[in-house]
Order: sequence, then C-alpha cells, then structure tokens
Amino acid sequence: MIKFILAALTIGVVAGYVNNNLTSFVASNWVTDYLFSASLFVSLFVMGLSFGIDKEAVAKLRSKGLKILVVPVVVALGSILGGLIGGLILRLDIYASMAVTAGYGWYTLTGPLIKSILGTQWAAMGFAVNFLRELLTIFTVSLMVKVDKYAPIASGGATTMDTTLPVIVRYCGSDVLVTAFSSGFALSMIAPFTVVALASLK
Amino acid sequence: MVNFAVLVLPLIAGLFFGYLLRERKKVNLAKVTLGIILILIFSLGFTIGSNNELLGSMSSVGLSALLMALLAIGFSVLFVALIRRRVRI
Repeated sequence: MIKFILAALTIGVVAGYVNNNLTSFVASNWVTDYLFSASLFVSLFVMGLSFGIDKEAVAKLRSKGLKILVVPVVVALGSILGGLIGGLILRLDIYASMAVTAGYGWYTLTGPLIKSILGTQWAAMGFAVNFLRELLTIFTVSLMVKVDKYAPIASGGATTMDTTLPVIVRYCGSDVLVTAFSSGFALSMIAPFTVVALASLK
Repeated sequence: MVNFAVLVLPLIAGLFFGYLLRERKKVNLAKVTLGIILILIFSLGFTIGSNNELLGSMSSVGLSALLMALLAIGFSVLFVALIRRRVRI
C-alpha cells in the first residue's frame, strides 16, 4: 500500500514539474484545483461512509467525548517545542523557528504568512518545514502506527483534516476518523494565530 | 476557515449514507478507498511539482528544514504518546 502511495506521489511531482517547466500538456490548475478537490471530496465521502457503516466506531467515539481535544493541544505544544530546540541547535532566531513549526504542516498557509512578516528567506523555511512534515507523515505512517495508534495523527498536525486523513484512516482504522479530523481542524484554526504571534516576537 | 464547510459536507454525507447502509450485507470499500487515495496523492504531488517557489525553498533550506520538521513531529508524537498513558483517549 505505502509503495503505491509513494509511487503516486513521485509520479505526481515529476509530472507536475515537467508540465510546469518543460511542456504543458494540461492546464496545471486542472490537476491542482479540480482533480485535487474532487478526489479530496470523494475520499472524505468514502471515509464518512466507512465510519457510518462501522457500528463499533460510533460507540468508541462516544466514550471519548471532549477528551479528544487533548490531542491537538499537546500536538501544538510539541510542535512549538520542536521549533524551539531546532532553533537552538541551528543557532537561528528562536521565535522565527517556533513560528515556522507552529504551522503544524500547513505549508500553503505558513509560507505566505511568514513571508509577509519575516521575508522570503524565512518563508522558504516555513514552506519547507511544513511541506516535509506532510510528506514525512505519509512516508512513515506504517511505522508510526506501531509506536502509538495516535502517532500518525500527532505527526500529521493540521493536515489530518484533509490530505493525510485518508492515509491515516486506512492504517489506524475508521474509529480514529473523528479524532484525526477534529485534531486537524483545531490545529488549522489556531495555526494562523500561533504563526503570526510567534513571528511577530522576532 | 472557508474550507471547513466544504470539507465537512462530503464527510457528513458519507456518514449519513453509511448509516443507511449499515443493515446491508458486507460493503467492501478497500479497493475504492485505495484508488481514490492514489488519485489524491498524485494530485498533491502534481501541486508540489508545479510550484517552483516550493521546490526552490527545498534546495536552499532543505537540511535545516528537515531537522525542524523531524523535531516538531518527534515532540508531537512523544507528547501524544505520554498523554495517552494518563488520559484515556
């Protein structure tokens, strides 16, 4: 399964690069907007379907209640601590480093936000760190799930409400769907605030 | 969050239909799911590949960014694993 995912990702990157820089065989927004959105909607629909069919999944969630919000809170703290330690190791500005990891994997948000506050050099970092977070989550999901059932959700950060959700649900089971989605949603909600607040401290 | 409603609607529609299908016999979604995930991941890759700004940022800050991403992931996973021993989630 992970082989197919990595193949699809690699072929996608190469096709996107070739199409954008060498020869244009499709309008790139046809894939990046329409195909992406359509497949995202269909996969979310199928995720919902598999959760709805699973009788035990609803019961499991009911027993958890509001406690699932603990997940995004500790993921936010862990991400920002990771940025702090990374900044200290690399001898970079610690506030800027924390701002970069406070995007929780949402690179299309963090890149532009950081660019507007800290300029292009840090924007590149904002893009790259969060993009790698999403990529590493997809790459390592089969290993992560052996560490802890919720480890892929922690790893995915804000991306677990959309792009990494189907992959996570496939490995962790449909009962993690709501935890993953709500964690991704909560982190997506706070990401703009944490990025801007930490970046402004520099 | 403009995206929220757009993302939640198909999810809720799926939940609803899944609930209706509950009493039917086995529904095998595994192959459909894999197919649609592969299309999703392909178009994600395509988006990355056609973004020269993103690819450029990877070559200039790649290794530092990798370290930061690994630390952010590592502490997030560690915290979630630790909290799960205290709070049952």
